[in-house]
Amino acid sequence: MEPIRRRIVELLPRLRRLARALARDPADADDLVQTTVERALARAGQWAPGTRLDSWTFRIMKNAWIDEARARSRRGKVFAAEETGEMVGFDGGGAMQARLEAAEVERAMAALPQDQRLAVALVLVEGLSYKEAADVLEIPQGTLTSRLVRGRTALIAQLEKVH
Amino acid sequence: MERDLRIAAYVDGELDPAERAAFETEMKSDPSLAGEVEMQRRLRARLAAAYDPVLDEPTPARLAAAAAPVARRYGAPTWAAMAACVVAGILVGRLALPRGGEAPFAPPAPRGELARVLDHGLTGDAGPIRVGLSFRDRDGDYCRVFTSASDRVAGLACRTGDRWATRTLTAWAPDAGAAYRTAGSQLPPEVLVAVDGLIAGEPLDAAGEQTARAQGWRK
Repeated sequence: MEPIRRRIVELLPRLRRLARALARDPADADDLVQTTVERALARAGQWAPGTRLDSWTFRIMKNAWIDEARARSRRGKVFAAEETGEMVGFDGGGAMQARLEAAEVERAMAALPQDQRLAVALVLVEGLSYKEAADVLEIPQGTLTSRLVRGRTALIAQLEKVH
Repeated sequence: MERDLRIAAYVDGELDPAERAAFETEMKSDPSLAGEVEMQRRLRARLAAAYDPVLDEPTPARLAAAAAPVARRYGAPTWAAMAACVVAGILVGRLALPRGGEAPFAPPAPRGELARVLDHGLTGDAGPIRVGLSFRDRDGDYCRVFTSASDRVAGLACRTGDRWATRTLTAWAPDAGAAYRTAGSQLPPEVLVAVDGLIAGEPLDAAGEQTARAQGWRK
């Protein structure tokens, strides 16, 4: 198997994490990963060896996600209802508490505008540097940092609300 | 905004050492700044707690299959045929492998029931240990993919001389409630990747497999 395939297989967990931060619904997130992998392999010749494969693949995901979001708004599809039954199956205690916490974070992320969510997902979830994230998003670094600041301000406002 | 940018850059590790030292001095004399840093750190921790567990989830088979073409090219038809053969013929036996904790680079050589199934089993035979795919590697050696429902492992073994050597061994779980049913798309990505890395040409068809078995898997 070509090295690029092997490396994309190795990237799958990170691609899934990024997709989950963007798409929220786990099935939609995995659809996004699948589209990303298929596009990346179809365009494997365009990847310049020696450059970062993760950034290149994240950029493909970013574009796929924007395309998908556009198509979804054209179709007028509404988001699925709040996590019906999502809590079922956890054996209580810490797992349940962690799941509730995560659901709250996911809700706050889903409420962010698309460009802020991308900035937050790449820097705060994926751990990219500002420069790397700006490269993935194909925007100047100043634009990235202002989206990032707006995004995290909105998240904190949502998450630090008194319950 | 300027203040928020600096706080963010500090928390995200984007300040150079001099800026960092200046910021920390400022923080000491400005408790509100320290409080905002704390809030930003909390946000990072909450995001990590929400999303990092995804890294430890098993990769869904369809994604591994999208990345490792072996699943599409060979796995699905071969293993689908195998699934269709699930009628009877349950082999009795245990896989002679220690449970858990195998060293990743030196999996044990197949012995006992696994060696027996590798020697004599054909793709499509039912049983707790099943062979899923047979092929020749670039040296002409025969290799076979196997799963063991009872030991919850999947792997790849190749014939070297007169014995089998395990090339890949990884955790694997049969579909819940379908212990003797399996499909190529369920194979762990490690195994699919290993197959794609070794295979020369196409996998053996049923006739090719029977011929190879009759010759004792000698190349």
